Amino acid sequence: MTDLRKAAGPALFFAVALALPLVVTDPARLNFLILILMGAQLGVAWNVLGGYAGQVSLGHTVFYGIGAYASTMLSLKLGLSPWLGMLAGGVVAVAFALAMGWPCFRLKGHYFAMATIAVAEIVQVLVTGSDWLEGAVGLYPPMSPTGFGAMVFGTSKVPYYYLILGLLTLSLAAGWAIERSFIGYYFRAIKDEPEAARALGVNLTRYKLVAIAVSAFLTALGGTFYAQKELFIDPGSVLSTSISIKIALITILGGVGSLFGPVVGAVILVAVEEYSRVIFGSTGAGTDMIVYAVLIILVAVYSPTGVMGLARDLKRRFVPGRTAAEVRP
Amino acid sequence: MHIDILLQIAVSGLLIGLIYALVAIGLTLIFGVMDIVNFAHGEFLMLGMYACFWAFALWAFDPIFTLPLTALLLFGVGVAIYQTVIRRIIKAPMLSQIFATFGLMILLRGLAQFFWKPDHRLVGHSIVDGRIALGPVQFGLPQTVAALGAVLITGGLWFFLNRTRLGTALEATAIDKEAATLMGIDAQRMFALAWGIGAACAGVAGGLLSTFFPIFPEVGANFSLTAFVVVVLGGFGSIAGAFWAGIIVGLVEVAGGFFVGPEYKVAIVLSLMLLVLLVRPRGLMGKA
Amino acid sequence: MGMWLKGLTAGVALTALVVGAGGAARAQEEIRIGVVYPLTGAAASTGVELKAAAELAAAITNKEIPAPDKLLAAVGMPNLKGAKIKLIFGDHQGNPQVGATETERLITQEKVVAVMGAYFSNVTATASQAAERYGIPFMNADSSSVTLTQRNFKWFFRTTPHDDLFVTNFFTFLQDFEKKKNVRLRDIALFNENTLWGNETTRLELKLADQQEFKVVEKLHYPAKTAQMTSEVQRLKAANPAVIMQSSYLGDAILSMKTYKELGFMPQMLLANDAGFNDSEFLKTLGKDGEFVISREVWALDQADRNPLIKAVNALMLERAKVNFNGNSARAFTGMAVLADAINRAGSTSPEDIRKALAATDIGSDRIIMPWKGIRFDQSGQNELGQGIIVQVQGGQYVTVWPFDVATKDIVFPIPAWNAR
Repeated sequence: MTDLRKAAGPALFFAVALALPLVVTDPARLNFLILILMGAQLGVAWNVLGGYAGQVSLGHTVFYGIGAYASTMLSLKLGLSPWLGMLAGGVVAVAFALAMGWPCFRLKGHYFAMATIAVAEIVQVLVTGSDWLEGAVGLYPPMSPTGFGAMVFGTSKVPYYYLILGLLTLSLAAGWAIERSFIGYYFRAIKDEPEAARALGVNLTRYKLVAIAVSAFLTALGGTFYAQKELFIDPGSVLSTSISIKIALITILGGVGSLFGPVVGAVILVAVEEYSRVIFGSTGAGTDMIVYAVLIILVAVYSPTGVMGLARDLKRRFVPGRTAAEVRP
Repeated sequence: MHIDILLQIAVSGLLIGLIYALVAIGLTLIFGVMDIVNFAHGEFLMLGMYACFWAFALWAFDPIFTLPLTALLLFGVGVAIYQTVIRRIIKAPMLSQIFATFGLMILLRGLAQFFWKPDHRLVGHSIVDGRIALGPVQFGLPQTVAALGAVLITGGLWFFLNRTRLGTALEATAIDKEAATLMGIDAQRMFALAWGIGAACAGVAGGLLSTFFPIFPEVGANFSLTAFVVVVLGGFGSIAGAFWAGIIVGLVEVAGGFFVGPEYKVAIVLSLMLLVLLVRPRGLMGKA
Repeated sequence: MGMWLKGLTAGVALTALVVGAGGAARAQEEIRIGVVYPLTGAAASTGVELKAAAELAAAITNKEIPAPDKLLAAVGMPNLKGAKIKLIFGDHQGNPQVGATETERLITQEKVVAVMGAYFSNVTATASQAAERYGIPFMNADSSSVTLTQRNFKWFFRTTPHDDLFVTNFFTFLQDFEKKKNVRLRDIALFNENTLWGNETTRLELKLADQQEFKVVEKLHYPAKTAQMTSEVQRLKAANPAVIMQSSYLGDAILSMKTYKELGFMPQMLLANDAGFNDSEFLKTLGKDGEFVISREVWALDQADRNPLIKAVNALMLERAKVNFNGNSARAFTGMAVLADAINRAGSTSPEDIRKALAATDIGSDRIIMPWKGIRFDQSGQNELGQGIIVQVQGGQYVTVWPFDVATKDIVFPIPAWNAR
């Protein structure tokens, strides 16, 4: 019974998500939904490292950028399909993540976060200075041919929508599998009781490396999707720290370490971002930033565990029949 | 390589490094006292710049004379932000604290654009202008005065933290919160004080910059990454660490920009930080 | 199962309600034009000025304010029974993805018939791509990256000359000047910001320097978000060039001038690449420290003596927005006027008709406020009649100094040293 009930939420989410393009036909609105799913997918990927394993990275843009650049370069230089490019980008990102994680995992808390920012900023500088990657000029993935194989779809947004929904599902499945498996158990131990875990003989670094590898792979997939959707990438648009921060914000807003938290976070953050800009942005007075900022601060102050945490608290208060243990994630 | 150039690089690096140190000291103080990273620190600097600019534009006050007022004003801003927002998230997880100060950063930028327009401004005619030459080495007067101001403030802050009752209490809270509370120190008051002083440091740095650095709502972004690097390099919470790290970062940045190329100067400073962290995971002078 | 279906329907309906399914029909009496500019972020001050210029052009077309009959925008919309232009603004925040998102929103939700934007070359790249996909004309008045018109787009039109022409002007100007004054200025330093614009400029400058036998003694790219530029200026000082060619946005243009002064350095000639050096705020903030900078321009107020339209339109701008035109806002004004004229000639708001009218554009130099030979688009959508001028700051004004036949003042050369002013 409990299992069924637990499955009801996700099942409803997927059913709604699958059916939405039948109702929402306007491309700009569909684009808005795609932005939400993109944010959610990145949040879920980030959550594997930042949420489950508790290693706060503010440099995830580097994996995103690797995904975008790898698929674009392979398609421009070798004519490879972005599908292969996407996979290649994921593999390169994993390699990079392992190389970066191995020394950086010695650092704790804020030091680790700052180190990840530093790595990402350095990569941005190096890519900007690289003639081979066209540096600051940026790259244009080919606009034609269009179609499923080329992962480019003219004006119709529907294929992009289902593609990113697929990537999100894949990421959620990865997150779910980790949550259920012994790996997730170790992750939680690393996060909450690192000393105890070490004493019990858990190889902390090895499991942190697993977390960053999975997280980087999924983030790189999102990067390839971005390149194929916007068909223009440059260091500023796929390798900037503001992207890393946005990914983390989405997860924090929804609820760190909760499977569907980033999805909820993305819905709220993207909606606030887009609507405040659309409604107030054309004045040029900065009002959109003020609205966006006030909402962020309110959430941080009144719901420090994110929206999912808030929902749990409310449930606990108003549904007395359940014990706290049952409603834990 | 000409010795003149090396000297000039050392002087320029030192001058900007002292400013970095002042900005970073405020940031590291807040962190040391309450373990919160303030993403809106660059925005305090921006507010300090605007305070000096408006005093100049409206009443023709020279920034040199407005500095004490700027410090007081920013102290008030810091305390007010602590009382309205930060006080409520002290016990929250690190991530929601990041979230809150990030929101503050956007809010302060938005408010600056709303009230003062996105224009670029500058304090046009300060009494400190021009340049003196010591042999082949040039000292820009506004930059030199700014660096000297930074040294004075840092010295004053050091005196306050080590030689006054209130300052020692603040320092004690930074070193060990629980112990300080047991000794009867009101932690809440210390937190508010840390935010006030932290904001004032950044604000004064902004005021010192206002005669030669353009002032606009997003200007904090030009300094905040560097301020973080200085804090990490020096060790989170270490004021002496921030001071020396500020100078190191200034020197490395100017020298790196000169010898390797300006497009790589940020990367060079960040690589230095990473290298130091690999050897000393808590920065140069961070507490264990 | 019933509950399930209910939940599903409710979920879909709710989401559809929130994001709004389908598009609302719009009344046809107004001509809706989308405009995307950076209205927040580091370039917001420029964006707000561009917005004011576009609004002025629309107001003149709408006959809300009287303007000289000769002016292109003053024609109005006689072929559309005097229909009114309505500008819908989008804020792209300097972000390429937001630029594409906003353009798409303006096209599909606001039902605009054409889009203008976007100042930053990299945002123009993605925004015009969105317009291309939907088959909506995209008017670009102010991005100078060469690659933009090398994409074989069908719906992209650019009124401003691009960097290739600007950089060529630099070298032609230097050669002209050498001949006229009998000096040699062969040692040049390239000092450009480190994004798309600065990098493309460097490539072109290197190519031309090589072809025309100039010696590049230093080549620097600097990051725009920087707290100090002393290392850059010391490199320049050590290389000791006769001419510095510099591309900077506003904030770094101001900081670099302050740093030149700090280190007591000035080459014989500082040749700036428009943008920050020609922003209205450059001289306002720097005052006399901005004197003697030479910059390529697309526009100058002193051309009013040769073209009475400039004076008249600038007066309108001054009255409405409390600011003189500059190269950026004059281009935005002209871009909007060209677009309005094309819509009027098309006599229809169908995108295809507008595109055909734009492609057939042939406007004489006497109807615009730019010092161009006119406006006529080539196959790639590039205006082939555009040309640049070169101005120098003298006595707090930008005065035209090249081409010599339209110059209003002689060049002050070399730039006086800082302590000789």
